[in-house]
Amino acid sequence: MRRALSLQSRLLWAASLALAAFLGVTGYALEQAFTKSALQATRERLRSHVLSYIAGSDMNVRGTLILPEVPPDSEFERPQSGLYAGVVGPDYEWRSTSTLGRQIPFDFQLEPGRTQFDGPIETNIGGVYRYAQGVAWEIGNGKEVKMTFFIAQSETVLKRQVNVFRRTLFFHLGSAAAVLLLVQVLMLRWSLRPLRQVANDLGRVERGERDSLPDRYPRELSPLTSSINDVIANEREQRTRYRNTLGDLAHSLKTPLAVIRGQLDHVDADADTCKTIAEQVQRMDDLVAYQLARAAASGHATFSAPIEIEKHAEAIVTGLEKVYAGRGILCEFEIDPQARFYGETGDLLELLGNLLENAFKWAKGRVVLQVKRLNPVGTRRPGLDICVDDDGPGIPDDQVETLLKRGVRGDERVQGHGIGLSIVQDIIKSYRGTLDVERSPELGGARFHARFEATR
Amino acid sequence: MRILLVEDEAPLRETLAARLKREGYAVDTACDGEEAMFLGKEVPFDVAIIDLGLPKMTGLELIQKLRGLGQKYPILILTARSSWQDKVEGLKTGADDYLVKPFHVEELLARINALMRRATGWSKPQLECGPVVLDTTAQTVTVAGTGVELTTYEYKVLEYLMLHAGELVSKADLTEHIYQQDFDRDSNVLEVFIGRLRRKLDPDNSLKPIETVRGRGYRFAIPRTN
Repeated sequence: MRRALSLQSRLLWAASLALAAFLGVTGYALEQAFTKSALQATRERLRSHVLSYIAGSDMNVRGTLILPEVPPDSEFERPQSGLYAGVVGPDYEWRSTSTLGRQIPFDFQLEPGRTQFDGPIETNIGGVYRYAQGVAWEIGNGKEVKMTFFIAQSETVLKRQVNVFRRTLFFHLGSAAAVLLLVQVLMLRWSLRPLRQVANDLGRVERGERDSLPDRYPRELSPLTSSINDVIANEREQRTRYRNTLGDLAHSLKTPLAVIRGQLDHVDADADTCKTIAEQVQRMDDLVAYQLARAAASGHATFSAPIEIEKHAEAIVTGLEKVYAGRGILCEFEIDPQARFYGETGDLLELLGNLLENAFKWAKGRVVLQVKRLNPVGTRRPGLDICVDDDGPGIPDDQVETLLKRGVRGDERVQGHGIGLSIVQDIIKSYRGTLDVERSPELGGARFHARFEATR
Repeated sequence: MRILLVEDEAPLRETLAARLKREGYAVDTACDGEEAMFLGKEVPFDVAIIDLGLPKMTGLELIQKLRGLGQKYPILILTARSSWQDKVEGLKTGADDYLVKPFHVEELLARINALMRRATGWSKPQLECGPVVLDTTAQTVTVAGTGVELTTYEYKVLEYLMLHAGELVSKADLTEHIYQQDFDRDSNVLEVFIGRLRRKLDPDNSLKPIETVRGRGYRFAIPRTN
């Protein structure tokens, strides 16, 4: 399944698109406005040239047009200069020197007083803008001569202007876009930082480096984080309460069982009856012990503090050495000081206690506890590898499966055995670990090997 | 052997006490932590059996206080909670062994036996002093391989003396450890037991296993064989 786009990318994409659209529209509008105003300026310039020509021209009585000796702009005399003038009248046509080699369409007449601006008009060499104005001269006896003055300008001038403007505009808009994008990225990172902080802190809680989320988030997030804190606290409290309730239940169930068993010694019933009752009491006891231990094993917990192993192993072994003092068993540790159990202390004690007691029961003289940390690269939470070896008789391969089957007792002679192992199995299972029974390579007896893989 | 039994459940307490007495132990019972505390600091017990779930004062507190007062006798805890957390805590506090309820009384007896042996420095269940061998598991006594018939009380007296072989055991000690609180201590029953033991163990008066230290008590004179 594809992972949903991150908040940051979403915001960044959305903002960039909006920015691009905004800048695009702005650029377009500015360019249009500039082109229009440049066109307007061109028109004004052409008009002023026309007016200059008209003002400098005169009509003699025969109706011959006399143009100014000096044109309003020297450009009109330089061929192909880009500025062209022309006059068209009935039976009259004049073109400025600059039109040499260029066919400028000064080819219509306007009524006096009328003007026309158009362009760009294609000519043999590029387009031109054209301004025309109709003029009439009275030449006595009420006759008048109509003339149309034309000025044209090559469109390259305007094009060049527009291009320069466009380049400048795009350069500045582009720079503005880049700066805005950068600001946006920074803004996003800054605004999203609290969220990243929450994620980091939650990770720390998960790894057990801290108890709860701190109280230093922005107002918008604090309802969320305080809810998370409540959930964490609740989960822990619930588990403790559950455990205590189960403990009390165990106590209230087991004492009556102990009484029944004690009374059996005094009952004057026949031996068979006593034996049956004793067996059933034993079964009830086993069931109670097993189910309670199983229920109390809290199993894989997301928000559990890492527990140091050596301290607890030490406590258990000190206890076991007391209990098995008569056997003179030597227990050695090889515990990675970095190794941690991510779960409930009770579960760890149950796990180590049962495995170590088992080893003490069977060992001739030596028990070795090895604990390693499994920490492959790229894992979020290191795993754990626990081996308990003894130098006892070991467990034949063909009995391993039977031994690991739930509720089957590996040894009927030693009290409580078997249940302990199924509890161990249940705990390991609830933490998604594995339990193997092997032969101890060094001591020759049994090796119980529990393994919890690292979490990615 | 004098045992302190602390258990709040009356039926269990009474059944156990009755059984222990039949086995020849002197038993003092208490039904809560405070009563146990009172007995525990006054009487020189050989073993205490303490239930962890007690009213008024928990078993763990009781053990802690007894140990705090310097009482060194072995303590066996009874617990209904089979969790290791409880076991470890109990053992750390000063208990020497634990038994999870419900248990076989035989198991309890074996544990008590082992605890008393260990407390007096014997590692094997057979107490061997020269030719005299006392088997604490089978509760038999042999002298140079020949079985000796003893009554429960005679056995208990001999067991106590042999557990403390080489040490002086005062009459008061012996009385306190063998008899119930309500027993008439002025009687000379003890001397009678010692006399009978001497005749049974050493009919031709050549071993002289039990010495009388005049005015102070007795001593099992044959050194321990290791």
